Amino acid sequence: MRTDITNILPEECISYILSLTSPTDVCRSKLVSPVFRSAADSDTIWGKFLPSDCYDIISNASSSSSSKLLTSSMSKTQLYFHLCKNPIIIDNGTMSFGLDKATGKKCYMLGARRLSIAWANTPRYWRWKRVPESRFSEVAELKEVWWLDVKGTIETKILSPNTTYVAYLVYKFSSSRYGFEKKPVDLHVELGESDAGRTFRIFLDPSANIPQFSREREDGWMEVKLGEFFNEHGDDGKATCSLREVDNYTLKKGLIIEGIDIRPKDSR
Amino acid sequence: MKSYIWLQTVDGSIQQVEQEIAMFCPMICHEVIQKGMGSSKNYAISLPQQVNPAMLSLILDYCRFHQLPGRSNKERKSFDEKFIRMDTKRLCELTSAADSLQLKPLVDLTSRALARIIEGKAPEEIREIFHLPDDLTEEEKLEPLKNATDDPRIRLLNRLYAKKRKELKEREKLKVTGLLISMFQNVEVDEELVDDRSVDDLLSFINGDDGDSKGIKTSKSKKKNRRRKDLLKSTSAHEATKNHNKESNGLNSVCRSAEVGQILPGVGATTNLQDVEDDIFPNKNEFDDGDIDDEIDPTLKEKIDREVEDFARRLNSDWPERMQEILSLGQEKKPVHLSLNGKGS
Repeated sequence: MRTDITNILPEECISYILSLTSPTDVCRSKLVSPVFRSAADSDTIWGKFLPSDCYDIISNASSSSSSKLLTSSMSKTQLYFHLCKNPIIIDNGTMSFGLDKATGKKCYMLGARRLSIAWANTPRYWRWKRVPESRFSEVAELKEVWWLDVKGTIETKILSPNTTYVAYLVYKFSSSRYGFEKKPVDLHVELGESDAGRTFRIFLDPSANIPQFSREREDGWMEVKLGEFFNEHGDDGKATCSLREVDNYTLKKGLIIEGIDIRPKDSR
Repeated sequence: MKSYIWLQTVDGSIQQVEQEIAMFCPMICHEVIQKGMGSSKNYAISLPQQVNPAMLSLILDYCRFHQLPGRSNKERKSFDEKFIRMDTKRLCELTSAADSLQLKPLVDLTSRALARIIEGKAPEEIREIFHLPDDLTEEEKLEPLKNATDDPRIRLLNRLYAKKRKELKEREKLKVTGLLISMFQNVEVDEELVDDRSVDDLLSFINGDDGDSKGIKTSKSKKKNRRRKDLLKSTSAHEATKNHNKESNGLNSVCRSAEVGQILPGVGATTNLQDVEDDIFPNKNEFDDGDIDDEIDPTLKEKIDREVEDFARRLNSDWPERMQEILSLGQEKKPVHLSLNGKGS
């Protein structure tokens, strides 16, 4: 006899079962039946998918952002989807925090001000400016430099455990770009003190017939993968990500850096 | 001496169960301690309706095993894995029964098993497994798409919709432009054969019969490209100004309703020109004109540039007369009010 299980299982049980799957599965299950749909919207599910320290992180958000007001009035379900689409600015405006929609894992972007950029405070070489399309108040624009050294670090303890993370440099070229088609750059990621890490060498502005490793993001910026690392328990210290071109013979110009985006592998 | 608890299931049957096993269930525990029930047949504890004799039997098996403190974690895990091997319907019934008895460890066990069954499956598959009718309305089915999960199928669907919409728009735009171009070509077959031939040359070049000189890269090409963009822009602007709001419908309908096959033998030229235009104007606004140049062969580009300049010149000078001819050629006699001489009808 074919019995509808929703006659057997109460909706709370279905919600509990769904909370043991993944955000993607829960969203998909909304297409199953009206009972599943209702069960899938339960706050208990999405509350489980939110990171455990989510509210702590939000409470540290920059007071200038209206996100604090917004998030305090939202249900857990609304908050989850809000953070997936709208990263909030934290830590004095130097970082942004969001969630990966499919897994609920934490994503961070280190703003340009938070990076260690050699010569960044010398106006002859780098300029700081506001651009409307950046989530941060300032981005770094390269006027000209021979020694290009951009580095960002993140504490693994703030990341989601048991996750492979990928770091991307988020950038644009200005109309005066120069040097990046002549000389490749070194992209590097290492984890903790003892890891030597891996380095990739690519052309950031490749001419024809040379592979392009950058791709366009949805927010209009470009990104290039610096490398990846596996965060197990968050006790590996810092992950360090860098882009360098330091042979000192090639002049480089016209690179605009928004920051370094760190998010789980295979997320968008 | 063992003590027993008396339990009554929803079908009325009563059985006695060893106390330490029964008390493993919080609900039964509560009944015994708080209400003093279960000590005799007359005072049997009424179990919730979800607990039929079959379910009770399963639950008691579970309790019998786990209530012994001496079991190792490995043993417990092994037992659990074997225990939940049952069909989906039973798993659901068991979840419900365990839930009503507040036996959380068993609820967890069965829920996880059901979660593993649901994970990664499509909605139709889930309906199949649980024998659910497909009773969401179309509207309800579309709603989750707004919530935008990263389900690749939903993303693909949305992208396809958007792409389709854009394609239709582009096609409409290019259709009108292309129709006009080839209309003019056709109209002048008698007068200027040279022009016609250059379209054919163009066609054969595109189709791969390369006879002409190879890549002569002109530095002027960048400027030409920009001008071309402007020309085509002014073409459509031209259309807009010549045809007032209401009248534009008239013009377009003439273009479209006119039997393309008959008026325009060069309709093949139209499509190819459109394809070429597609290549020349990719929808990437960030790229400089210089980048666009890299995509086309220079010789082909020169030919195209010449074509467009001719066309633009003709448009700017001969528009009123040409329109008259087109209209008279048109199959359908629709009353079209156009300011043919630019001064108003």
